[in-house]
Amino acid sequence: MAALKHFLLRVVVTLLLLAVPVLGVWTFTEADRWGLWFPPIVSSYGASIDKLFYLILWMVTVTFIGTEALLVWFVFRYSKKDPTRAIFTHGNHKLEMIWTAIPAVLLVIVAISQMEAWTTVKMNFPTEGPYTPEKPLMEVYASQFDWRVRYPDAQGNFTGADVIEVPYDITVPEDTKVVLRLKSRDVLHSFFVPTFRLKQDAVPGMDIPVWFEATEPGSYDLICAELCGWGHYKMAGKIHVLPKDEFDAWLAAKRAALYATD
Amino acid sequence: MIQCRNRRAAALAAALSFPVLACEFNPGAAELSYSLNRPVIEQNQDLARDAGAQAQLAGALEMLFGTAASPRFLAEPEWIEGGFDPNYWGEDLVKNDDALRASLEASNRATFAAQIAAIEAGTFDAVARPRHADDLWGWWEELKAEKSGDAAGLKSEGIALFAEYYPSLRASAALYRNQCYHCHGAEGGGDGSTSAFLEPRPRDYRPGKFKFTALKGKARPRHEDLFRILAEGIYTTAMPSFRRFSDAQLHGLVDYVRLLAIRGETEILLASFYEPDEGLNFANVQENYLDVVSKWRAAPEQLIAFEGPVPESTPERIAHGRALFTTPGDKGGANCVSCHGEGGRGDGPSVNDPKQSTDDWGRPIAPRDLTRGVYRFGRRPIDLFRRIYAGINGTPMPEHIGMTITENGQQRTMTEDDIWDLVFFVRSLATHAPAVAQHGGGHGGDLGGGH
Amino acid sequence: MSHAHAPTHPARPLGIDPPGTVHTTHEHHELGFLRKYIFSVDHKVIGLQFLFTGLVMLLLGGLMAMAIRWQLAYPWTEMPVLGRLLFPATGGVTTPEGYTMLFTMHGTLMIFFVIIPLLTGTFGNYLIPLMIGAPDMAFPRLNMLGYWFWWPGIACILLSFGAEGGGPAAGWTSYPPLSTIEAAAPGSNWGQNWWLLSLTFVGVSSMMGAVNYVTTIVKMRAPGMTFFRMPLSIWGLMIAALLQLFALPVLTAASFMQLFDRVFDAGFFTPTGTVINNANPETLGNAAGGHPLLWQHLFWFYSHPAVYILVLPAMGFVSDILAVHARKPIFGYKPMVYSISGIAGLGFIVWGHHMFMSGMNPAVGLVFMTATIMIALPSAVKVFNWLGTLWGARIHLTSAMLFAISFVSMFIIGGLSGIWMASTPVDIYIHDTYIVVAHFHYVVFAGSMMAIFAAIYHWFPKMFGRAMSEKLGVIHFVGTFITLNGVFYMMHQLGLAGLMRRTADPYDYATYAHLQPINQFISWCAFALLAWQVFFVVNFFGSMIWGRRVGRNPWNACSLEWEAPSPPGHGNFDKQLAVYHGPYEYGVPDAPKDFVPQTQRAHA
Repeated sequence: MAALKHFLLRVVVTLLLLAVPVLGVWTFTEADRWGLWFPPIVSSYGASIDKLFYLILWMVTVTFIGTEALLVWFVFRYSKKDPTRAIFTHGNHKLEMIWTAIPAVLLVIVAISQMEAWTTVKMNFPTEGPYTPEKPLMEVYASQFDWRVRYPDAQGNFTGADVIEVPYDITVPEDTKVVLRLKSRDVLHSFFVPTFRLKQDAVPGMDIPVWFEATEPGSYDLICAELCGWGHYKMAGKIHVLPKDEFDAWLAAKRAALYATD
Repeated sequence: MIQCRNRRAAALAAALSFPVLACEFNPGAAELSYSLNRPVIEQNQDLARDAGAQAQLAGALEMLFGTAASPRFLAEPEWIEGGFDPNYWGEDLVKNDDALRASLEASNRATFAAQIAAIEAGTFDAVARPRHADDLWGWWEELKAEKSGDAAGLKSEGIALFAEYYPSLRASAALYRNQCYHCHGAEGGGDGSTSAFLEPRPRDYRPGKFKFTALKGKARPRHEDLFRILAEGIYTTAMPSFRRFSDAQLHGLVDYVRLLAIRGETEILLASFYEPDEGLNFANVQENYLDVVSKWRAAPEQLIAFEGPVPESTPERIAHGRALFTTPGDKGGANCVSCHGEGGRGDGPSVNDPKQSTDDWGRPIAPRDLTRGVYRFGRRPIDLFRRIYAGINGTPMPEHIGMTITENGQQRTMTEDDIWDLVFFVRSLATHAPAVAQHGGGHGGDLGGGH
Repeated sequence: MSHAHAPTHPARPLGIDPPGTVHTTHEHHELGFLRKYIFSVDHKVIGLQFLFTGLVMLLLGGLMAMAIRWQLAYPWTEMPVLGRLLFPATGGVTTPEGYTMLFTMHGTLMIFFVIIPLLTGTFGNYLIPLMIGAPDMAFPRLNMLGYWFWWPGIACILLSFGAEGGGPAAGWTSYPPLSTIEAAAPGSNWGQNWWLLSLTFVGVSSMMGAVNYVTTIVKMRAPGMTFFRMPLSIWGLMIAALLQLFALPVLTAASFMQLFDRVFDAGFFTPTGTVINNANPETLGNAAGGHPLLWQHLFWFYSHPAVYILVLPAMGFVSDILAVHARKPIFGYKPMVYSISGIAGLGFIVWGHHMFMSGMNPAVGLVFMTATIMIALPSAVKVFNWLGTLWGARIHLTSAMLFAISFVSMFIIGGLSGIWMASTPVDIYIHDTYIVVAHFHYVVFAGSMMAIFAAIYHWFPKMFGRAMSEKLGVIHFVGTFITLNGVFYMMHQLGLAGLMRRTADPYDYATYAHLQPINQFISWCAFALLAWQVFFVVNFFGSMIWGRRVGRNPWNACSLEWEAPSPPGHGNFDKQLAVYHGPYEYGVPDAPKDFVPQTQRAHA
């Protein structure tokens, strides 16, 4: 009876531990079907970020399955009632060297492989083309609890009576390197566009350039990703990507609408 | 023994599987109920003591407007005869206007894209339940039951159902409860749980006093005015843009806000007719109700219309606007300078006058810093024109049309042209970026705020 | 095992009897109830005080988690049971500012009032003198003061609930200007001041503990207890104490700076011209010239090492428990010590990875990224060594062992997901999403909390002289293990779908509209997880009264604490101690028993 109980306990514990890698990997393979995976990529650099995610995912999965499998096997195998004593060892220098050196090399490779994508998104701003950090397409003002975007007037000024100010909806041209300057009127906010793989905090007192190139027309969620107060969950926006000519027409219509009298 | 063990194992397994089973569980929305307008009741000590009259008041209001869970207007027969049903106020307005109807449908098609695609594909059971649209879901289920076996009919009518959706008052009340209640309160008193921490305070709909309309005088707002506030928010206040909801939902919210406002105003009127000896004057109920509704129906007539294009801004007109702006009232000017200050920075002398810096709701209020180019109800010339024309209801900002001014020794009333000149001058002031904090040695005057 | 040094007596430290001295004088000296159980200077009583208080705080923090989960599963509906208590004004429906307060307080309570005190306060106090063979802490009165300085902290944090506007609501990270400008959030009224004061008291309390732990470990080891003969628990606790010593002053200074910003408009963190919620500019006084990122640097300079304070002692406990119940020496003792130290050292130069998106110079981000990724290395070494320990072992599946094994399993998840967060480009997407929530809950709850459970099951016999029920322990383990994975695992996928943390009602975004069913599943797992702890509560309190009586060494363990009576009396040891070898001599071939206590000469 006691032996049966012990066996049952071993089985239960082993199954529980086994469930971790099995269900763990399974949920990752099924996640896409449940809508629990990345939203589509619609920015030029989105794919490079996802690629790095998958690179790490593969490394992590192999390590995860390997270590968890060893754990499950050891726990099952060595929890058997056995009157003999355990293997008496205090370690193995060679093994330690191996399992320090190999991960070290892999981790350095991971670290180096990240750098290009990071500099692309955050450091290398467009220097030519219609929009540059000095001559952005728009200024985005974050405040409790909405997004306002300012397009310059026909002369390219961001101040003055004829600038265009739009709440919530941000319209940008397709296939164009768009630069915006991100500002906060009050507290911290964060400009997060999941489909662009883009996130940048807005900090009061700072004027932070952000760039992206949208590759697909459509409307995409803009979400505030930094706690900005009680209404944080309300702080939504939409980014509308229009083909270039439609964007120009839209901007012209916006400028004209400023002088409507309805 | 073994059986007992099995039973225990079964109990353990059941306990552990309950997260999965519990997913079917769905709690109802919390009951929301209207309470009486306490400050108004407290003003009348007799009424405050008369629980019976208060119950009568609550009953009268429920008769006219239904309950919080199921709000509706009591439709007068003559309204119906005249083709007006307040329960379909917004819906009739939107659907009789081609442009509004088209944008409503476009917005619905975008919002319910997944549902419409599923219907088009004929996979009726794959239609997902949309959020905040219990009424639509009910109608869809009804339609499905009615048209079972008639796939083509279900398809065409189903698509039309989603594309032409306009929420019922009941669904809008639920959305209000979800999105507006915590600031504006159950009765629209601007007294929700979060309201005490906001500056300015959320609007109290009940006195019928709304700041931002395109209308003359103290008219009640039009459907379009309220819709614009919902869609664009009020910049530099805690009222955000609610564009993430569909046009239909925003129209529905406007309907419900209007119901709350009419209800609140009727309540105030009814309370004011209370006589300690006679109780609530029921003879007045219908009269007051009709009176308030008629004010709201008359709103569109009060639009400050301006035909033709915005006039050309010239240096001369700006100079004239500047003169009007900077000349104090006792010298016959428009007196803007006393609040907005010489440079339009919102730092005029009256800022220190408690009377001039308190609004009708008893809150401190600061004049707008016009150099920032931030205006709460639109930055188009026509918006500024209407703002100066009619003033801002409930604030020290006065109506300017017809204001008496003295120019060149001649007394006259201000005309639309004068107002345009002021608009051009105000627009010329907007030379700074919206107030944004900065590092390093800033200057104290760089602060935003204002009304 | 011939390398045992002959025990030598260290100099008599700090006016306290040499370690290992038999204390007979104390036995005749009866203390009153107050001095014995309330204002006690005995490290064991203080440890138990931390334990009981910490468990009560755990319940509080857990209930807040339930309230958060209710809102995420069924936003803006009436919350059963807790709702009326937390939100009476709205009839039990969460308010938006109430939600921000809930997650702020959940984080604050769990970190500063549960995990740190349970790990260092409880087990640091209880185990350090016992495991190194000392009669008590180096500074017993300071030790008592450490516990009693925790109480003003608790009082302040509880008072903050009653402040106008409710408790602090700027997140446990308390980023300015949201936290410094009163008008910015309801919770940034007095609630935030209470929060800052509370943190200061807790910090002082931890500091007193840390000074004590390091001094005790350095100066009061029993004869023969060299540094490399100390159990890994002691290493973990000592390194964590060192981290606290170096990092806490920064947090304390930063808290005071924030307090000065709030009370005196010092403007450390407030840029010129900040206007929030149209607050009258005069209320901001001279606030000017500050920078919000300064707080983030100072805060994370403390709080990132604090993450390791939350896990290093847990790693130590798990190592000890694994060795005892696997009847096998820990694999690679020295690499374990080096990796603990390595994690701690690297822990000081990685704080910037919390700020990749903050607007900090992106070039600096690259440096922080490299350092952060390298932290995976010592963590991996630890996991490999735990696996090495289990290889060829004779595992006893006791409750303590089950929790310790699950720590290893869960720490693998929490550690691996950290690599994504460390990688700057991937972090652009996953920063502040639920994958981060999953990551730190796998480390802190599934990791440290499971280690705390393991430690309670393991050392309970020493604390109370009775063993906990194994049957209830196993039931507690099975349910906890299943439900905790139900709660936290799918958060990874929620994060990949882009779900932001701290969002009261995410389902109105098209991106998140379909995530509600998953959140409902998670919430019910969370409710089950909390309910399941009944088995622990019953076992814990029941075993104190009805548990099986045990002798000094119920687990046949080697380390010194098992040489003392269970529970140990005042002064701990009733015999002279001398240490001859390391604490992991299990399964020794040729020895009469399968273990050789540290006090026994090893067989040649």
